[in-house]
Amino acid sequence: MDELERYFDDSIANDSGFMLEEGLGLQSPAHSIQDSSYLSVKAQSSTELGEELDLSFLPDELSTQTDTAKAAETQAAAPDVSQDSGICLDYNSQDSTAAVDPQQGGSLQSSASPFCPMTPMTPMTPVTPVTERSGIIPQLQNIVSTVNLGCPLDLKFIALQARNAEYNPKRFAAVIMRIREPRTTALIFSSGKMVCTGAKSEEQSRLAARKYARVVQKLGFPARFLDFKIQNMVASCDVCFPIRLEGMVLTHQQLSSYEPELFPGLIYRMVKPRIVLLIFVSGKVVLTGAKERAEIYEAFENIYPILRGFRKQ
Amino acid sequence: MCRILMVHREIEQLSQTYYNKAYQHESFLKVSLQKKEVLAGCCVLVSCRLLNWPITMATILCLINADPTLVGEVYQEMISALKIEAPIVLITDVIETHIQEYKISSLHLPEEFAENSKDLTRCAVALVELAADSWIVTGRKPVPIIMAAVYLAWQSLRPTKQRLKTSLEKFCQIAKVNKYRPAVKRIAEIKEALCKLGKEIPWVREAVTPDNVVQHVEDILQHRYALLRRAMRTHQDALQEGRKAGFDNSLTEETDSVQSSELVEQTPNSSSVKQCEPNEEGAPQPRDGDNNPCTVSELHSGPHERNDVELNWGKRVLFAPPCVIRAKRRRVEQPELQDVTGDEEISDSEIDSYIRTPQEARDFALTQKMFEKS
Repeated sequence: MDELERYFDDSIANDSGFMLEEGLGLQSPAHSIQDSSYLSVKAQSSTELGEELDLSFLPDELSTQTDTAKAAETQAAAPDVSQDSGICLDYNSQDSTAAVDPQQGGSLQSSASPFCPMTPMTPMTPVTPVTERSGIIPQLQNIVSTVNLGCPLDLKFIALQARNAEYNPKRFAAVIMRIREPRTTALIFSSGKMVCTGAKSEEQSRLAARKYARVVQKLGFPARFLDFKIQNMVASCDVCFPIRLEGMVLTHQQLSSYEPELFPGLIYRMVKPRIVLLIFVSGKVVLTGAKERAEIYEAFENIYPILRGFRKQ
Repeated sequence: MCRILMVHREIEQLSQTYYNKAYQHESFLKVSLQKKEVLAGCCVLVSCRLLNWPITMATILCLINADPTLVGEVYQEMISALKIEAPIVLITDVIETHIQEYKISSLHLPEEFAENSKDLTRCAVALVELAADSWIVTGRKPVPIIMAAVYLAWQSLRPTKQRLKTSLEKFCQIAKVNKYRPAVKRIAEIKEALCKLGKEIPWVREAVTPDNVVQHVEDILQHRYALLRRAMRTHQDALQEGRKAGFDNSLTEETDSVQSSELVEQTPNSSSVKQCEPNEEGAPQPRDGDNNPCTVSELHSGPHERNDVELNWGKRVLFAPPCVIRAKRRRVEQPELQDVTGDEEISDSEIDSYIRTPQEARDFALTQKMFEKS
């Protein structure tokens, strides 16, 4: 019945096989160095900042990899994976090597898990070797997901029987339902399809959607939980330095749109991953359009050197 | 429209071409007449931009008298439909054409208030450049900034009591232009920036405040790069003092390298951009070239510093975007839900709390009927 669980199991199975097949070499150790260092950053920052950091997307195989990592860590040749890997953010434990080999970085990234964003891609700016990652983690602000409850619903009845529902058919053809924990809102349609918004993580979104489904069930409908899917993820972060938007739109004209008369931020449509970033003069960045957390991290790691390098001009 | 704007033949032709293309395009086939008019305006706008004719959207808005949101919408739709990449308009280019709007020449006004447009333009352009360097322009609508600059330029070219007393409202009345509300804020911001520089003028004894800064504007603008350097140095020194006293313990590696390396730069715009950020690295710094105070603090003073550093970076630099200096306190989201797996048990009682009791439901239905009847 719970499609989502099957989906997750499948993908973990596939990708763990993939990772192990890569063999040791330089790939897995580098991968896990970053993971372990990332974990250390997270652990550190989560206690200090009280931010909500969700480790649940990291693969379970991490522990096995760290053993191989320890052996390989002593290898001086462990390259610094370029900015294309999104999650791995802490560069404390790695010396910033002077020259990053983009080719090598590119090949390293073929060992992809759904959670570690090492997608094979050519670096965006092959001329400038970026030796460090940003150290900034974008925070998820909103997740939009959809699920199919699998049965037609009587919206009038739901609006009548549920405390947390509002229904105004003249304005909108769905019941708007809210729950307190996780603080979310759902749009429930008479077809049985439901949209859940407002959660701050994928798991929260799923939990919230399940709660809504339970409410509908309790009201007497044979509700199920089919095809749960995250449709959109929104995250934000702050690079803590001001950004010359007018300059940026000159150098990145094909991908940027900056119209101060219409909107104060610069709209950057990244191609890979397909994410839209809103960049503001204050240094705050909003990332949206992702279906997976990894895409957000990757997009930010892609834009950060642009913002930084551009700032020095 | 092109005739009114008195643009080149080419612009007229280009806009005609675009309009024809857009008219046929699927997204614009069945739109209202009003939208089609707006579309025409957008075509003119885009053609002007492509052929380097400085014009703001506000001008088009005035011409076609339409709702700004609608124009924005249509404009975005049109450029994506026709796949046009139009360069942005530099605000300084637009100033001259805007000043034509202001009826302040000696033909229109008495000697006291009149000003020739050449001087006015020169002064206003300098003010806008200063504003741009101080982060007042980026992200903001250009027209209120231009208005503020023209107003201040007009005041400073002949800072008589009469002129200084004239409010922006009155000025707009005299010049026969529509006042823009944000211009008042821009005036304050520009004055603030001017004060920061005015403080550094060696021959001014009294304190430079927003009230008396207008008299010094000419001097400030004339020597603004030198004043900027001095202001940066003073600011750096002040920061050093503060750090020595131990108040600010976040950045221990900031050096004076800025002064030595950056002052050599002669190109005004780039130097002022660089000098605007005392954290800028030119000379090698102990850090690895990353000026991000966040990472520095992570490396040295622990991540718990990060929040403070983030919140205060706007206060530590001499010039920062106003939205950073006056950052609103965001309500801190409580991290109530850590480590949610999504698979937790959902308690019955929680779900029941969302469902009405039978009595409640009856009452609700009754009240609804009553409301419908009344």
